[in-house]
Amino acid sequence: MHTRLKDQWPTLLVAALAGTFGVALLHITGLLGAAIAADDVTGGSDTVALMLGIVALVFIVIAIYVSAIVTANTVATVVAGRTRLIALLRLIGSSARAQRAQIAREGLLIGLIGAAIGVVLGTGVAFGLSAFAVANDLMPATDYDYVNVSIVLPAVAVVVTTWLASWVGSRRVLRVRPIQAIGNSNEQDREELARHRGRNVTALVLFVLGIALLVAGVIWGLSDPTGVLIGMVGGLVSFTGIVLGAHVVMPPVLRLVGRLFGASPAARLAAENAVRHPERSSRMTIGLVIGVTLVTTFSVTMESYRAMLLAAQEAHPEVYAGIDEMLNVTVAVFTVLIGFSALIAAIGMVNTLSLSVMQRTRELGLLRALGFDRRQLRRMIVVESAALTLAATVTGIVLGFGYGWAGAQALLGGAQAEPVFVFPGIPWALFGGLLLAAGVLTLVASIAPARRAMRVSPVVALAVD
Amino acid sequence: MQIQPSDLGLIARVAELGKRYGDGSGTVTALDAVSLGLRRGEFTAIMGPSGSGKSTLMHIMAGLDSPTTGRVWLGDTDITELPDSALTVLRRRRIGFIFQSFNLVPTLDVRGNVMLPFDLDGRRPTRDEQAWIDELFDTLGLRSRIGHRPHELSGGQQQRVAIARALATRPDLVFADEPTGNLDSRTGREVLGLLAAASARYGQSIAMVTHDPVAASHADRILFLADGRIVRDSGRSSAEEISSFMLSMEVAA
Repeated sequence: MHTRLKDQWPTLLVAALAGTFGVALLHITGLLGAAIAADDVTGGSDTVALMLGIVALVFIVIAIYVSAIVTANTVATVVAGRTRLIALLRLIGSSARAQRAQIAREGLLIGLIGAAIGVVLGTGVAFGLSAFAVANDLMPATDYDYVNVSIVLPAVAVVVTTWLASWVGSRRVLRVRPIQAIGNSNEQDREELARHRGRNVTALVLFVLGIALLVAGVIWGLSDPTGVLIGMVGGLVSFTGIVLGAHVVMPPVLRLVGRLFGASPAARLAAENAVRHPERSSRMTIGLVIGVTLVTTFSVTMESYRAMLLAAQEAHPEVYAGIDEMLNVTVAVFTVLIGFSALIAAIGMVNTLSLSVMQRTRELGLLRALGFDRRQLRRMIVVESAALTLAATVTGIVLGFGYGWAGAQALLGGAQAEPVFVFPGIPWALFGGLLLAAGVLTLVASIAPARRAMRVSPVVALAVD
Repeated sequence: MQIQPSDLGLIARVAELGKRYGDGSGTVTALDAVSLGLRRGEFTAIMGPSGSGKSTLMHIMAGLDSPTTGRVWLGDTDITELPDSALTVLRRRRIGFIFQSFNLVPTLDVRGNVMLPFDLDGRRPTRDEQAWIDELFDTLGLRSRIGHRPHELSGGQQQRVAIARALATRPDLVFADEPTGNLDSRTGREVLGLLAAASARYGQSIAMVTHDPVAASHADRILFLADGRIVRDSGRSSAEEISSFMLSMEVAA
């Protein structure tokens, strides 16, 4: 099945990246833990090492969660592209279940290879970083052992999630009918929005409950900073609701963003294309939404915190000396850690967009025959890419801003003698950076499909296959 | 003064047209020195067995493919060496297409599909054109379907939308490639009747590629192709006459 694995390389890339990230982060945590244990002052305390471990775990879980969504989406798109082949095999007598199992096996294999690559690369990255840190006297040399049990954890997680995500993503195989191998080429590519009643209800309940908790946290926070803990739970619960209900939330956002690009035929078609597979586009964008929301939430909270500290610093400069620098470093480190999930989501988006444009060759040929010129086709693809990226970024920024402000209010609203309204700090640099990244992603994601679309000859639309 | 194709009452013309694929010993000759003219206002059928070159001929006449040798005119325009951008505009304004299947843009509704050629040109239909489009919607029985997407329509309805789109800009020439290939025979007859009526009533020039004798029997003129050459040029014929000629061609081969 060598040739069949070719369209799965992005799945491998995602698995390898998630594995590398997980392994490297655990190694680095271990290295830091060893350094702390060796230090005379902090050596006595286990708390710091424990906290480091928990933080690392949270980031690994986020990265693996995002990569699972991306993998499921990639596999679903790959299956859509293989419909003809699967239908032919079904026609000859293969069962749908066997076909699905085949895809799940591919997932398992890819997961294994990805995890292996992750262990090697992740260890290499951690080793390189620590060697650099030791050489520059940033960190004492430790006797940290790179061969230890903890790195098995991310490796196993990558294998299992890639396997499971392939299984989930291959659900579509069951809907391929043998007749599609010989049927006419009218593409039945419309994915009707399945009635996920259970899922919708769960999503709504989680969202409402989460928001209620968030509000409670903010109010509680007016008198007591522990309100932030309630607020955090509320934030997590409501955000899970949004992620679960992405197929309801994202399409309207995509439509709205799509309208921004004007009423030219290319832009109108692009806006429609962005929502033609509502499930696919929702999963395609939600990974990015998660990344952007997390980065923004964190940044807005820290910015509000910084504003408050700066006010305090003016009153008592000696107490708060050097705190600004420390905040900057913390924000930078966390942004990079969270940004990694966004990177994985971005890879998924680039790939899914490429695949779905390739599956549209006939339609592109039709458009060429009817009088779309090459520039209009390219414009169509770029706008589709921009609609997806922009919708994800803007949603993430809006959500992150709300969560970040709620967090800051709950944390700082009661920190002083009397309750205050905390003005949300606006991390302009981050917003600028995010929009810039969105622009770059739009272009990167549209290069390959646009080039391909411009090469399509109109004769393709007339060819009867 | 040079004689233009239109002086001869022709809407399209090809001269000494040749098309070869590949080179060396693997060369395939799809068209071999074909010369013909399509008359304005006529419904012409281009027939021939698979591999006879009829699709290649149509692609070249519609500016979708370029010939190896010879020249092609649409109206008085020599389109043989037009660059891609000029050909695109030509297809948009002066040619209509009806394909066997996958005719419509799935993300646009019926109105959007019919208006696409105007939108692409960046203009709105004139009052006169709008009246014509409304008439087309009525004649083709699409009035109640205007807001529907292609997947909500039957095969026959989809072909009617394709016909409406192809006729909407009143192009010089409509190309139809096996327009009934995917339809049941009753729906197919309806579609052919509509094409014939468009030609007879409104003087629309139509070129239809087909291998179905029944489809060809609706045309005013029938050209037979075999091995990249025109082997017969006949007027309106019955399906029986066409079938027997096709059979004799097969036997001779």
